[in-house]
Amino acid sequence: MSRRLLMLCMSLLSLGGLVNCSKSPKEGAQQTPAPTAKTEAAVKATALTITQEQQASWIRNFNPLLVPGTARWPTRAGIYEPLMIYNTVKGELVPWLAVKHEWSADNKKLTLTLRPGVKWSDGQPFTAKDVAFTFELLKKHKALDFPAVWAFLESVQAKDDATVEFTLSRPFVPGMLYVVHQPIVPEHKWKDVADPVMYKNETPVATGPFTEVKVFQNQVFELGRNPHYWQQGKPAVESLRFPAYPGNDQANLALLTGELDWAGSFVPDIERVFVNKDKDNNHYWFPLVGNTTTLYVNTTKKPFDDVRVRKAISMAIDREQIVKVAMYGYTRPSDATGLSDTHDKWRNPEAVAAGDWTRLDIAKANALLDEAGFKKGEDGVRVGPDKKPLRFDVNCVTGWSDWVRAAQIITQNLKQIGIDASLKTYDFSPYFERVQKGEYDMSMGWTSDEPTPYYVYRDLMSSETLRPTGELAARNWNRFSNKEADALLKAFEGTNDPEEQKKIAHQLQMIFVQNAPVIPLFPGPSWGEYSTRRFTNFPNKDNPYSKLTPNSPPENLFVLVEVKPK
Amino acid sequence: MPGDPASAMFARFAGQLQPEAIDSLRVAFGFTDEPLHQQYFTYVAHLFQGDLGLSIAYFPSKVTDVIATGLGWTLLLSGIAVIISFALGTALGVVATWKRGGWLDSVLPPVLIFLGAFPYFWLAMVLLYTLGFVLGAFPARHAYSDTIAPALSAEFILSVMQHMVLPVSAIVIASLGGWMLSMRSTMVGVLAEDYITMANAKGLSQKRIMFHYAARNALLPNITGFGMALGFVLSGSLLTEIVFSYPGQGYLLIQAVRNQDYPLMQGIFLTITLAVLGANLLVDILYVWLDPRTRAR
Repeated sequence: MSRRLLMLCMSLLSLGGLVNCSKSPKEGAQQTPAPTAKTEAAVKATALTITQEQQASWIRNFNPLLVPGTARWPTRAGIYEPLMIYNTVKGELVPWLAVKHEWSADNKKLTLTLRPGVKWSDGQPFTAKDVAFTFELLKKHKALDFPAVWAFLESVQAKDDATVEFTLSRPFVPGMLYVVHQPIVPEHKWKDVADPVMYKNETPVATGPFTEVKVFQNQVFELGRNPHYWQQGKPAVESLRFPAYPGNDQANLALLTGELDWAGSFVPDIERVFVNKDKDNNHYWFPLVGNTTTLYVNTTKKPFDDVRVRKAISMAIDREQIVKVAMYGYTRPSDATGLSDTHDKWRNPEAVAAGDWTRLDIAKANALLDEAGFKKGEDGVRVGPDKKPLRFDVNCVTGWSDWVRAAQIITQNLKQIGIDASLKTYDFSPYFERVQKGEYDMSMGWTSDEPTPYYVYRDLMSSETLRPTGELAARNWNRFSNKEADALLKAFEGTNDPEEQKKIAHQLQMIFVQNAPVIPLFPGPSWGEYSTRRFTNFPNKDNPYSKLTPNSPPENLFVLVEVKPK
Repeated sequence: MPGDPASAMFARFAGQLQPEAIDSLRVAFGFTDEPLHQQYFTYVAHLFQGDLGLSIAYFPSKVTDVIATGLGWTLLLSGIAVIISFALGTALGVVATWKRGGWLDSVLPPVLIFLGAFPYFWLAMVLLYTLGFVLGAFPARHAYSDTIAPALSAEFILSVMQHMVLPVSAIVIASLGGWMLSMRSTMVGVLAEDYITMANAKGLSQKRIMFHYAARNALLPNITGFGMALGFVLSGSLLTEIVFSYPGQGYLLIQAVRNQDYPLMQGIFLTITLAVLGANLLVDILYVWLDPRTRAR
């Protein structure tokens, strides 16, 4: 819905040509200060204006332990802080509230050393007790354990003020990421909270750079600096402002009128629509570090249980066209490993070379289907040995226009090899329920967003994530498992040697390429736009110190402490 | 509706949620397997205590809190829009019929019907683009300037009025035609009545005949429509609110439907129902004042 509105809005904009968007001269003649974009911006030059959440009016909730998306965005990206932050662009773990981590020899104990001198925003010292307390809260209230750390943790102990020891029930090195990304809350404030699941934490006490709620109205709120922030001289920005926009289109309009300093929304044809408006100040950066947009096939159904069919489908898809038409050229076709640029250093060139099935090759696709026993019928649709014609639905989400266009191209492509595919769009909830329950033929989808390929492949090939059809599966919507992959994933869990991990990741890619459990389409760009009219030092391709997009807390902390007023 | 709130929750967290967490959330939300009639009595009992439950989409806020963030603005926006379009449309209808065959009578109805055929949000977008974006004559979003805090000051009220111009215009333009046409059609009937001829014969002033004799009688069906229109305008303002980022209730309903947030939906429907009932009460009072026949002895 909102995306469709956006498209309408944008086409209206383009119809009108690139009309100079400066305000009318009438503004100056008005006696009262006109509440238009320009005057507001001039008044509030000290506040970095950001949009990330789509809300019509704000609800005051700063509880960092609730499900992401429930509390206001800065809760996990500015107010509360994690122990360490994974930098997706650089591919490294950056120390934050903890300065050092150490694994025991058997990889069953993780010891973290905390940063000295960190204070909560009320001046109390931050200690290991706070960390242990936070994890105990997750243990006590399962509704708070969204990262599912207690699936592999056994206990968390504060050894002294600066040392925390995590004992694991089994060696599980990849789990560390979830441990160190957990926002930490102060024990002295939270021990009296009766029910942290229902707690809105309206006046947060935290360690982050912005902790003071200066303004909270239903259409805008503003956060001020933490007087006790541990990074000397940072943040340089005085405050953050969050106007409420119910959708992408309203946010994009605000971006065009220069009200916003930082946004992370999809903008069609961005060079013309956004950059050309103000070439000196309007910038964007869409690195391909998001998850991979993927065509899921239900491998429990015939004929998708046949790897030849999966590969044939993939070979018939014209990814170049999808990238050009559906994605405005913001991305590139995916290779057969399905990894995005986040995992560049893990990529196995041999697996990429072996994965010929992501290259467009209609002849070979036809040959593969012939070989698998699907003969073309009279109407051009192939018929299987069971006499059933290959007629399928491709599921997609209503209004996700880039996906819908991509799925349309796919259905046309598949007709060329005798598969009669048609597009079916659903609202997000029913779409996602079908995908999770495995009640679909083919479906648009995405891969996991985690930093290591371990999670990507565990989600797509492990029997651990496999659920029977009809049961909700959090991952592994394609319902595929592979014994070899299971063993490799197990091995990955038990080692923290980077060389060893890389070797295993290479083997996992080989298995993925051989089995084609899903059909990767293109790596997802991580959307990010900024204006240098009032603030500078945003990350970009010349200065890639972090992702630009505000859509992935806690990495946004990097940006919030580095951005400077002009 | 396919799906249930729990799986919608699951969906919203894109796989970050563990199955155990969902069970705890179900308990937290108050999902129970009690028999339906029992659940109903609990609901009614809570209703009388002003407790509409917890919202799922805005967990853990109360439904009443969530609705309170926008209800006032929605009532203000659609209230003013309905009153303006009703008053203006009716007046236009009266004047047009009085000068039957004049330019007003021949040009306006088709134009207004044409405009009325557009969806609210499309008109809102055109206004937003031309007057808000290109000309910059009016603010393009929110209910008042972001830089001032709500207070009973002249500055604030002026700001609210300025911010209301575009969304109100969008609703008024789209709904004006209906009022004008219905007024016109009853006026035409009334003008043929004998008492109008008699009033003319008595030599009363044209203004007096037009408003006191004709319009007052012709107004009755329109007044009935007024109460019902409020309900429609509430739902029509929903899309207008989204286009102008107005902090009203409109977006809440969409969010509630998307997240299968039944408590919030119930709450919003309840407030819409109450608003329509309130408007009907108002209409009944007006009716008694306008039509002597309805006054009981």
